[in-house]
Amino acid sequence: MIADTTDLNELERDALTELVNIGVSRAAASLRKMVNKEVLLSVPSVEIVTRRSAASLIGQRESESLIAVQQQFDGPFSGRALLIFPQSNGLSLVRAIVGDEMQEAELLEMEDEALAETGNVILNGCLGSMANMLQHSLKMSLPDVRRGDSTLLFDAHNSSRDASFVLFLYINFSVRERNIRGYIAMIMDLPSLEKLKQLISDFIERVMNETD
Amino acid sequence: MADNADGPRIEELHADLNAAQRRLQLVLDAAGATCGWEWDISKKRFVADALFAGITNQDPVELADGVSPDRFFVSIHPEDLKRVKIAVAGIIAGSEVFSREYRLLRADGGYRWVRASGRAIRDAEGEPAKFVGSLIDITEQKRVDEQLRIAQSAGGIGTFEYIVGYGTISVSEQLCRLFGLHPNKMLPVRTLNGLIHPDDKPVIDLTRPDELQSEGNIEFRIRRASDGQERWLARRGEYVDDIHTDGRRYVGVIFDITEAKHTQESLREANDMLAELARESLRERDRVWKNSRDLLVVIDTAGVFRDVSPSWFDILGHAPDKVTGSKVIDAVWPEDRDQAKSDLRKAAENIHTEIEVRMTHEDGSPRTISWMTSREDDRVYAYGRDVTVEQQQKVALEETEAQLRQAQKMEAVGQLTGGIAHDFNNMLTGVIGALSIIKRRIAARRTEDLDKFIDAATSSAHRAASLTHRLLAFSRRQSLDRQSVDVKQLVTSMEELFQRTLGEQIELAINVAAETWKAETDANQLESAILNLVINARDAMPNGGQLTIETNNVAFTEADLAKGETLEPGSYVVIAVSDTGTGMSQATIAKAFDPFFTTKPIGQGTGLGLSMIYGFAQQSGGHARIYSQLGMGTTIKLYIPASHATGEQSAFEKEEEAILPRGKGETILVVEDDDSVRMLVVDTLKELGYRVLEAIDGAQALPFIEGKGRIDLLVSDVGLPGLNGRQLAEIAIAARPALNVLFITGYAAAAAARAEFLAPGMEMITKPFAIDDLAQKVTEMLKPSNPR
Repeated sequence: MIADTTDLNELERDALTELVNIGVSRAAASLRKMVNKEVLLSVPSVEIVTRRSAASLIGQRESESLIAVQQQFDGPFSGRALLIFPQSNGLSLVRAIVGDEMQEAELLEMEDEALAETGNVILNGCLGSMANMLQHSLKMSLPDVRRGDSTLLFDAHNSSRDASFVLFLYINFSVRERNIRGYIAMIMDLPSLEKLKQLISDFIERVMNETD
Repeated sequence: MADNADGPRIEELHADLNAAQRRLQLVLDAAGATCGWEWDISKKRFVADALFAGITNQDPVELADGVSPDRFFVSIHPEDLKRVKIAVAGIIAGSEVFSREYRLLRADGGYRWVRASGRAIRDAEGEPAKFVGSLIDITEQKRVDEQLRIAQSAGGIGTFEYIVGYGTISVSEQLCRLFGLHPNKMLPVRTLNGLIHPDDKPVIDLTRPDELQSEGNIEFRIRRASDGQERWLARRGEYVDDIHTDGRRYVGVIFDITEAKHTQESLREANDMLAELARESLRERDRVWKNSRDLLVVIDTAGVFRDVSPSWFDILGHAPDKVTGSKVIDAVWPEDRDQAKSDLRKAAENIHTEIEVRMTHEDGSPRTISWMTSREDDRVYAYGRDVTVEQQQKVALEETEAQLRQAQKMEAVGQLTGGIAHDFNNMLTGVIGALSIIKRRIAARRTEDLDKFIDAATSSAHRAASLTHRLLAFSRRQSLDRQSVDVKQLVTSMEELFQRTLGEQIELAINVAAETWKAETDANQLESAILNLVINARDAMPNGGQLTIETNNVAFTEADLAKGETLEPGSYVVIAVSDTGTGMSQATIAKAFDPFFTTKPIGQGTGLGLSMIYGFAQQSGGHARIYSQLGMGTTIKLYIPASHATGEQSAFEKEEEAILPRGKGETILVVEDDDSVRMLVVDTLKELGYRVLEAIDGAQALPFIEGKGRIDLLVSDVGLPGLNGRQLAEIAIAARPALNVLFITGYAAAAAARAEFLAPGMEMITKPFAIDDLAQKVTEMLKPSNPR
């Protein structure tokens, strides 16, 4: 995985992390509005790995099955974005968002809907602001909720067919005194990744010139 | 106009006042100030306090009044500038938290480290409106950090922090190096765990991400990412409350313990090996102890059983735990206790002893146990074997052996009888044949030439007598008539006899050393032995050869005689008879002196020849030796003790010159239970002119002895019914102390050595005897020179 990430230099990785942070900050702000509570989101680490690595990476870490909100994105760089939680964390997030007043049965009933909505806010906020910072826009599809193991989520068993990569973000949430961990994965093919890298370089250039 | 004139001046004063007031304010601010800044994003205006101005080398007044936001970046080290700009761009674009460490150039050309912490303040729409924050000088902290880093690096200690529930872990550079990773501040936990040996505990256990890690120290192996080397690392750490969240952080260190582990490992292996060895030997000891069919016991010096093996139950019937703690002596068979006490003492005093003692079985019977003891310090370890059955078997075996010996003896007697019968028949044929011829001749009144047949019969009878003599010599019950014998003369006188015996094919050489001593032996027996050797030599040379008879002297000192040699040191006459015949193998030599061993066909010899010679030589106090090799002939040497008497005439010469003496009416009492022998003796003595009293046994003889009648000599058989000859003689001597006694005996069992049997004034004559010999003996004993 060291080798996987060396294609970005330190500054580019800093910039990418910053871009993602801008994204999740916006998402957190949106969430804050939704739950009217302090929501902290941070992205301490960013990696670019293969789909297979991404699958095993979550698989190794999470013993329980996963729940994911998935959206296609289309623009200068295209692909599929996933917000992934361990199933219990997903439910915690919904609980955090809807509040403690709701009954368990109701909660379960609307879990998918709530998750899809939350996921949409986070992913939209994250990808949207990233694209914005890179002075482009992305078209996002409607979210859908998927369950399964990491191999299924990443189509890892088919990954040998095409050279697609995953921009893999660890996210630490803190919502209503709950620590929730999750992952954002952006599955892109190589040309999209190259394009992203180019856009990051441009961004750095711009930042340097702006403030000179 | 003054107003006009003063207007600008007042304004100036106002301005000055304002400035002074602001400065005062700033000074006041500075007292509790924090290098704070406020960046109004929408108005693109930047305000900072005096400390910020001071630390960034800017005019505090300007910064307090507000300047262009790019003044935020003044004095930032060029190498750090890009990072800071990106982070600031993030905040302006919507990031929430700003936190960067960077260097600020100082006026003196050096630089200081600061940490800038800030956040975005949002407007009602949620858009970032202001960026506020403060700088902290962390130069000192950095220096401490650097020292810590160096200490960590030198000590090889990596640090980490982990917030429960998170997937990432913040790590030190040294920690990355320990794992062989590129230096990084934040790593996915799985990156570290992935390098850890699958059998070992991970740095952070993610299988239950929301639970606390075990706080204990753990050790694990890693495959270093850089070079693939396996190393042992140790983790130490503890939980602290996280400042930012309500969660907990695990703060710890990791360091390399490979060397220690290897040492530990080899120590452990060595230890394990030793332990295993110890266990194994213990197991073996236990097995030996438990499975021994013999007794194993441990005894202390007080004679108490400390431990006994389970075999005790099988052998002696007591449960081992009942025996342990009891006194040894109580287990011993009562009759053996005295002996056992001293044995026990011996076992306690010596390192090794062997003891055989009877122990009492639970059923009350004795068991013989053969013990071997071994003492170590104050313990005696004993190994005991039940030899009860063995001993019974030994007794049975001894009985069987005795029976076998008896059977062998009977067989030998049978063989002897057969051999003797053959020889005896030959001789009897001569006697009976001659007597019947004489009888027929007398009947036919042809009395001429009778002497020839009488001589033949006499010769045959003599040979028979000599055979019985030889038999007795063999049985070593023949009493030897030891006297000084001139061996030279004896051998020389036999030459004619040898010549006749040997025939023409064999050349005889007699080589008698002139200085040959006289020998102390029985002349008749010696003659017989030499003749026997000559005959054997002849038979060994069926195709002829040379036979040599030599005599010589030899003196043995203690040093000359090999150990186990039967000869005593002293002087010996050696008579050697050598042939050039077939010789003997070693096996034959080894058995040649055994009775009944013969190489001749059955019925042609008794097989007693050599054994009788051996017996004779031994009885004389000498020895016989065989020197032979197959095909190389044989030499047999007789060693006869030398005699130191001189000038005495040999028995032979005396016999030759015997003149029958005449009695002068002396009275002789003859006691003999065999009628024919008594008649013969009585007739002979009467013929010689003696007065003779007759008695069949002691009972008949006693009246004569106790009577007043004259008795000059008592002639008595030794083997009498009732009182035996010796007892009778004692009564007779008691009654008549001057009386001489001549014993006649056929089998002088008690008279193997004359001296022990015969008191002074007693003589002995052996059956069969020549009448002449009897007459000679009687006359001798009645001589006045031979008084009692």
